[in-house]
Amino acid sequence: MHKNIEREILNLISSGAKVLDLGSGDGALLAKLAEKNIEGHGVEIDSKRLIVSLSKGVSVTQKDIDRGLSEFNNLGFDFVVMANSIQCLRRPHEALNNIFEIANECAVTIPNFGFWKIRLKLLKGVMPVSKSLPAKWYETKNIHLCTIKDFEELCFEKKITIKKKFYFNENYMPLNSVLISRANLFAAEAVYHLEKQ
Amino acid sequence: MKIEQCSFRYEGKFSLLNGESIEGFELVYETYGELNAEKNNAVLVCHAFSGSHHAAGVDPTTDKPGWWHEFIGPGKAIDTDKYFVVSPNNLGSCYGSTGPLTVNNVTGKPYGSSFPALDVYDWVASQDLLRENLGVKAWEMVLGGSLGGMQALEWSISFSGKIKKAGIIAATALVSSQNIALNQVAREIIRKDIAFENGDYLLANKKPKDGLKVARMLGHITYLSETNFKNRFGRKLQDAENKIDENIDFEVENYLRYQGEKFSEYFDANSYILLTKVMDTFNPAARFNNNIVEALKNCIAKLLILSFDDDWLFPTQYSKELHLAAIKAGVHSSFIELSGQHGHDSFLFTSDDYTSAISNFLNHA
Repeated sequence: MHKNIEREILNLISSGAKVLDLGSGDGALLAKLAEKNIEGHGVEIDSKRLIVSLSKGVSVTQKDIDRGLSEFNNLGFDFVVMANSIQCLRRPHEALNNIFEIANECAVTIPNFGFWKIRLKLLKGVMPVSKSLPAKWYETKNIHLCTIKDFEELCFEKKITIKKKFYFNENYMPLNSVLISRANLFAAEAVYHLEKQ
Repeated sequence: MKIEQCSFRYEGKFSLLNGESIEGFELVYETYGELNAEKNNAVLVCHAFSGSHHAAGVDPTTDKPGWWHEFIGPGKAIDTDKYFVVSPNNLGSCYGSTGPLTVNNVTGKPYGSSFPALDVYDWVASQDLLRENLGVKAWEMVLGGSLGGMQALEWSISFSGKIKKAGIIAATALVSSQNIALNQVAREIIRKDIAFENGDYLLANKKPKDGLKVARMLGHITYLSETNFKNRFGRKLQDAENKIDENIDFEVENYLRYQGEKFSEYFDANSYILLTKVMDTFNPAARFNNNIVEALKNCIAKLLILSFDDDWLFPTQYSKELHLAAIKAGVHSSFIELSGQHGHDSFLFTSDDYTSAISNFLNHA
């Protein structure tokens, strides 16, 4: 995760919160939370990444998010993070439901498939490869890519409130105010702070 | 690596969890590496069911490497340049610590089958006396596989302040009825051996070797996986010159017979029965209304719970359940399923992932 995106996520989490990080990767965000004395726990499917997480002193559970998350319900988590993971899930919409059984607030990040460079690649007739989506089509773990417009529509349908959103260009800089209104075309990544209505 | 073979003698009355007691005990143990001046680099390694205190290094008399030789040593997962590793032989076992082979001072005869039933708690309590004797305030980590992992779990619950981290590997908080059933068959096989003499074979100068042998053969099947058997033996026939006897056709038969035979030479039948009972009755939540979450609320240590994907004796599900109970209890706990090649016995074999998991946790948790 890029520092700028990590910073925005960390800013959303209040100091006393207990955080569940879904798709915690090598535990980098959990380690940052620990530095800020925020209690966190990670969920990750890949054992190699989990083992790296152990070297950061964080606690993790090996688990496929697609298999449900009910064991984390009612465990006092205040905040869920799902960064750069939702597009890898078989049932991303169900994961969103599950998240709000665990906590009332969450941060979700998505790579925006509506980004103009991606559209251009598709116009040229090839699957896009970019900074946010570095793998070739046959190697990618991303099976449910969406655009900013798609994701915000899903939130609307699911009655999920978007409390805050942050759009980034391909260099992970915040989109300038002129481009924000055309974020679906100009943002490469989006970070959402979501809350259940 | 500095290796020492030691013995710890406790002279007082040692009360057991079941209300009985023994008049003092002896624990034989090995140590690897050196205890630092602050005495805060000690790691306790707990052996599994039929294991011994010989966990690392090469035994000078038998030339045998320890059961976790690949894990303990300079630069290894448990680095003896940094940590002082203590490996005791458990009470009730037959490698030198007080057990059925020991002479009971009251009767002047070996305890034999009259050795009191033990609980994992009793093992941990005796190890805690050893800890005190060594002047160690708290173990940096307590870890082990299988029944050894159960000891690490008991430490986390019952002596939590005395350990900082626990490695609970290929273990469970409660064995299944299938596990008990398998152990029961093994015990019955031993008891039915004509030389068993109701457990008093020592007095009769006999040894129920046949029973022990078959019990071990059964046990050995449960320690491996189907794939492991398939890869090692398949349906290969045994060559004539190495056949143990004429009834044998397949290599796997010969292997099991050989393993059973070897085991029956050095293991004690009463210990076998006693130790399988310790495994069957293990229930660290018993003192907490059988609620493992309540039990784990006492745990202030950090836990690493590992399982192996081809272990069918204590399958991953057991480890997952234990981990979730720990999370529910608010314990700092991590769970990872590793890929295994040796079924339940995978905990004895190194892999890059396995050793990294242990060393990352030990050094950074």
